[in-house]
Order: sequence, then C-alpha cells, then structure tokens
Amino acid sequence: MDALICVGGILFVGVLIIFFYLLNTARKKNSPPAAPGKKDYLPVYISLADKPLSIMQGMDKLRRDAQKMETAGDKWRWVPMIIFFAGVGLMLIDGILMLLGYSDFIFITGGLVLWVAAVVMARSLRRSDLQDFSPRYKGTKEILYTLRDDLRPNSTFLGHLDLTGAMLPTKVARTSKDAQDRTTEYFRDEWLALKAKLYDGNILRVSAIQKSKKRKSYWKRSRISGKMKMKPEKFKGTEHDLKVRIVANPEVYTIARASPTFKQGSSIGKYTIRQLNTEGGMITFIANSPFEEVEHENILQVLQSAYSLLQRKAA
Amino acid sequence: MSRKIIPFVVAFVLVCLVMAVSGVFAFSGTVSAEKFGADVAWSQPYNAPESMKIIDLTGDGKDDLFLQTTDNVSIWDENGNSLFNFGYAASKTTLGDVSGDGVEDIVVYYNGQGMSVDIIDKGQQKTIVTSLNIGAPSRVAIIRFASGPQIILGDNGGNLLSISLDGEPLWDMSIGNAEIRGLDDARINGQIHLAAASYSGVVAVIDSNGNPVWQYSQETLRRMRAFDLNADGNSEIITGGEYGALNVLSAVNGNILFSKTIGQAVSEVREVELNGDPSSREFVVGGKEGGVWAYSFNGSTASQMWSGSLSDKVNEIAGIDVNEDGKEEAVIGDDSGNVAVFTESGIRNNLPKRPGGITRIDVGRLGNERFVVVADLYSVEANKMKFSSIPGFQYAPLLVGVIVSGVILIIAAILASIPKKPELKVSFQDKSRESLEAERRMLKESIADVERLRKSGEVIGDAYLARLKRLRADLAENEAAFKTQGFPIKVETIQCPNCGGTLELGMDKCEYCGQVLLS
Repeated sequence: MDALICVGGILFVGVLIIFFYLLNTARKKNSPPAAPGKKDYLPVYISLADKPLSIMQGMDKLRRDAQKMETAGDKWRWVPMIIFFAGVGLMLIDGILMLLGYSDFIFITGGLVLWVAAVVMARSLRRSDLQDFSPRYKGTKEILYTLRDDLRPNSTFLGHLDLTGAMLPTKVARTSKDAQDRTTEYFRDEWLALKAKLYDGNILRVSAIQKSKKRKSYWKRSRISGKMKMKPEKFKGTEHDLKVRIVANPEVYTIARASPTFKQGSSIGKYTIRQLNTEGGMITFIANSPFEEVEHENILQVLQSAYSLLQRKAA
Repeated sequence: MSRKIIPFVVAFVLVCLVMAVSGVFAFSGTVSAEKFGADVAWSQPYNAPESMKIIDLTGDGKDDLFLQTTDNVSIWDENGNSLFNFGYAASKTTLGDVSGDGVEDIVVYYNGQGMSVDIIDKGQQKTIVTSLNIGAPSRVAIIRFASGPQIILGDNGGNLLSISLDGEPLWDMSIGNAEIRGLDDARINGQIHLAAASYSGVVAVIDSNGNPVWQYSQETLRRMRAFDLNADGNSEIITGGEYGALNVLSAVNGNILFSKTIGQAVSEVREVELNGDPSSREFVVGGKEGGVWAYSFNGSTASQMWSGSLSDKVNEIAGIDVNEDGKEEAVIGDDSGNVAVFTESGIRNNLPKRPGGITRIDVGRLGNERFVVVADLYSVEANKMKFSSIPGFQYAPLLVGVIVSGVILIIAAILASIPKKPELKVSFQDKSRESLEAERRMLKESIADVERLRKSGEVIGDAYLARLKRLRADLAENEAAFKTQGFPIKVETIQCPNCGGTLELGMDKCEYCGQVLLS
C-alpha cells in the first residue's frame, strides 16, 4: 500500500510538472528577472559597413523577422495545453470503462503518448521564443539616424554593434584574486564601435565600452556548523566608458585647448570627462559613467559637446 | 532538406510507427474489454472443506456436490441441501468407481478401528478394512493399473500401502520420512503407474507391484501433480518446493524437463487450458506469498506466459471456461478470501471477496445450470458466472492510433508553419570598392587596437583571442566580398584547418587551438 501511495505520489507530481510546463508555455511566462547586469537580451552581433539608411533598414528588418517568428509561435501556444486535455479525455475513457468493471489501458496509453507529443510541441514553441531586443539596439539606431546627415556623401558607417552580452566568458579581460583566494573577473565589453567620415572632413571614432566586475562563486567553511558551503557568484558593479577620437579637418577647424562646457571633469548627462587630449590635430577623450545603463541621448550629448572644442576657420 | 519538410518527414515516420504498434495490438487480440462477475445462487454453512467436487455420486444422472473435511464427508444436492452426511476422524478421501456400477464412489481413509478404509457407494457406507498397518492418513488415491485398480494409502510418515478394492493389502513401501504430499496416476507409454511424493522431497514413480520405476529427491516438497501435458502417453510430473523450486519431470525416467525458482513456496499447481490449443497444455502455479505464474508446455519444455498476484497464499486454482470461448480462465482463490479470474493474457478480474480464506473451487452442472462452487472457511457458495465484453473493442488501438497520428500531423503542420529563427549575427555591408576598402582599414585599425590593449594588459587571455578571432573573421568576410565583386585583393587571412578560426597569413600555429599550420 505504501509503495502504491509512493508511486501514485510520484506520478501525480509528474503530471503536475507537465501541466504547469504546458500552462506556462500557453501563458508565455517570462523568465524571472536575472541578477543585476545579467538581464538576457537577444544576442545580436551586427557588423556595420554600410550607408546609414541601409543599416537602419536592415536593423528594422531583423526586428521584423524576429517579431514574425515570435508571433507565428504565439498563435499556437495553447495547442499543447489542448493536446494535454485531449490526453486526459482519452484517459477518462479508460476511467469510465474501469468504473463499469472493465480493465483496459489502451486509452491511457494513448493519452500518455499525447502528453509526450504536447511536451515536445511546447518545447519546440518555447525554442521559437526570442528574448527582447536590448534598448541599446534601438539606441544605436537612433545614434546612426542622428548622425546620418553628418556623414560624407557615399561614405559608410564602419564598426560593430555587439549585443551578445556584457559578461560572457570571452569578454573576461582579466582576473584577480584577493587575500581569501576569491577570484574576481573583470569584463570588458566594447558593445559599440563606430567610425565615420563626416561631411565637414572630420573623422569620428566612437567606442562604447561596458566594464563589469563579478566575484566568482567559491566554497567557504561555515564558522558555526563547520560545513563547507558554496557562496554564489556576486555581481560587483558596472561602469561605462565612452572613448571618442575626432580627427579634425585642418582646412576647416582649429582645435581649442579647452571649452567652458567641455573640459576634464565636466559632467555631460550621465558621463564625466575623465581624460582629454587635444594635441596633434585630434580631440581624444574618455568619458566615464558609473550608471548601470547609459542611454543613447547621453552619447549624442557628449559628441555634441565635444564639437564645442572645434572652431571653424574663417573662410 | 527544407525545414518545412523535415517536421512532416519525422511525423510520417512516427505515424507509421504508431499505426504499426496499434495494428499489432488490434490484430493480435491482446486488447479486450472483458468483465467477469458472479451472482450467488445459494450459500450454505460448511467449515473449510479439504476436498470438494461436483459429480454424480447417487447414480441419478444429476451431479451432486461432494464435500469432505477431516471429520466429515457430505453429499449435497443441486440446491445445497444435504443428502448424506458421515462423521469420521482424520479422514482423507478420493473418488472412483470401486463397485463397478458406473457411479463414482467415495473412498474414505480414516482413523477408526485403527487405520480403516470405507467405501461410500450411492450413500451406502461400507467398511472394507480396518486395523491397517499404516500411520495417520495423509493422502488416498485409486490408481487403475493395467493389472487392476488399487487403493493407495499414504500416511504422515512417508509410508505407502496398497490395498485391493476389497481391502486386501497388496504391497507397501516408504518414500522419505515425512507426510505424503501427492498421489497421482502417471502414464508411461500409456500404462498407468503411481506417482507419489513426500514432504521430505522424495518423488517416485511406482509400478503395480510396488516397485519404484525411478526415484528422485529434491528440496522439501509441498505439491506434486502429474499431467500428460503433451498427450504423448507419457505424463509429466510437476513438483513445487518449500523454497520455490518448480520442476517438471518426465514420468518415464525422472529427467528434469523444466526447472525454475519462483522465489516463494509453491502452494498449488493445476493444469488450466488457457489458450484453448490442445497441442500445448498450460499449467498455473500459485505461491505462498500470492504469486501466480502461468506456463505453457510445448512437448519438451515449459515457458512462462505471464505472472500475476493475489494478496495472500494461493490456496486453490481451477480452470473454468467462463466465457465459453474454448479457453479456460484460471479462477484462483487465496487465504484472505480473494477470488480472481485470470485470462489467457494474465489480465486479472476480481470476483466478490469472501469472508474467509478460500479452500476449494470447482465448476460443474448443478441442476440445469453450470455453477462455480467456491468453498471458504465458513461456507460453500454456488455462483452463476457472468461475463460481458464490449464488441469490437479489440480495434480500439486502431482508433487511439488514428487520434495520436492526427495529433502528430497537426503538430508537424504547426511547427512547419513557424518561420526560421532570424540570423543573429548579421553584416550590413556596402559592396562598393570604396566602402569595402574603408571597412578593411577599420578592421585593421581595430585589430591593431586589440593588440595595443593586450600589450597594455587591459585585455588579455580568452577575451583578447575571442575579439581577435571575430575581427579576423570579419576581415576574411571583407576579402570574400572583394572577390565576389571582382575587385583585386591581396589575401591576408587563412582558415585553421582544425578549428576553422581565421588567422593572419603566414602564421605557423593557430592561436585558438594550437594546430600547427603548414602554409
């Protein structure tokens, strides 16, 4: 009897797991919020070597294709649940037959096969789910849109937009160990690199870099119980660097040493200018932001402010 | 193959599989919806009969019900009313026509004036012998040897005594020193012999003069039955041991034809014609822990057909063709009062539970109807068996198969309708020569930048290699675009033959996988 209750309990739990798996598929339940700095977005990598319009159209098309796939999958999300209940229906036939005194399991078997089919379909539908596009995707498009008219005719934007993730193993720039032998990983994610020849003859290079820090999980002996316990990994923070170099067209511009609005230490939006070099006919600076996310408006604002160092020569 | 076709190909294979399995189940007849039941015709109190048989004992042409306990022998009519009733002490009985009138008589071996034997012929009790030189009764049998019938008495000390039908002792012998657990007639080349077995584990086949043809010893023995399972004129002797040994022996020479350990004491063995095919006979074995096994004997050895279980020690097994399909069902009763019908395929159907442990089950015609008579510790009950089945249910697997196949095809159609996942590594590339050259310059600048970061210690290890690999791959794509457009290009990249990573021309070793390059 105990064995029967045990097996029955296991089967009941199994059925519940299948039911909620299919229910969550039907509801399209979003994954729970990830730890800070780890929210999963669609891992997109775009090589940029085209005219602004083509790039923006391409970005729109990619978004449309993703949406199309997701919509096509969403239409059928309730089907696995319906198949599950069809399986229950088949099993009920055997239930009714049993109540009438007949012992038979063929409909139960059919019902179980339908459940397996429902799970397989639900899994396939879930695989058609795509994560959200990162806000940086839209932000980059806005940057390209804003700069489109400043681009020299027939020239292209060059660079990349890397939204595959800021904390991938391949983006561990270096690691360090503390006195307790705990490993901290330093990530460097150059998510945007852009080079453009501008209409006024200047060459603009922009790199947006996210630097993150994470302490890896480690084993520690509890002081109270003496047991070894695993401490989970810990996100230790993130910051953003914006590296910009503007090679000024000497025929059009002279570069001022400083500007009241753009000098080392000035804050522009979420950024603060950390390094500034105006020598050699180039403006090179690094702006830093301690914020977790920096919107495209801030990048454009910094670029606009940097232009205040350029003084147009008299005609 | 197109990703729109693949789901349908997979679905087609699955549908074929499902329908094949459904077909096998449907046409092999393994699936059926059958229901067995029983209506009680009458019930009479009678305590724990050791022996029970539906048989004509009065010579009126109608079957009566014979019942025997250790202290009583009774004959009941078709309605359960007592016709004759005899008191005995420590009695054992067997049935056979002793008087030669064509009507079965009851032979009673009991403790009266010493060990005695009575014959009850049509209700008339007659003592044929007293003061026999043998121990307390354990078994009795009438064996119809070629030389004439003999009454064989077996006592609780392993002794056998043969007497003639008028009580004259003929021969005696001993097989072991524990009680006789089985007396049966066994055929050797069509000639009837005595098969006897004692609890000590000795099995012997004995001729009409009391000479053993052969003798065999095994573990402590609980049951011995002899059947001619393949109708070749030579019987097979089935023995069941205290520790689970199940053996089938040839009555001719005692050779073991089949042997198996069933894991519990064998409490009962009966022949049941389960599959309705007389060329192979089946026997059902019951265990002390409630296990039930069915075996088929094909002439040379036995193979297991199915196994099942009841809740307690199996006390009785009877072969009854309940649904009159030419195949007997095994009706099995246990020590807790459960009665179940096991079909040819081993499917169990419970009949109403009885208040006491089942002691005997028999089937036969009482009056004008066929009854299954079940005896338990407290009463004897005549049951009218009921059987019903859903016509055409054997084809239910085909229906289930069609439903499952339909669902599989629907799923395939839905999955095929979902567009392909978009490529998430995309390249927007202007194909003009100026653009390609600009892109090339940019990539080289980026590579130089990564090298500079490595030297400054800002990016090292895997991150450096991963970034470099990606930029070099972009450079290779750029070269490919040059070639596609027909622009001259000096190739500066190669692919690692091992990992496929893009490397700069002239490198001797792959930076990513360590492969040595011969370029």
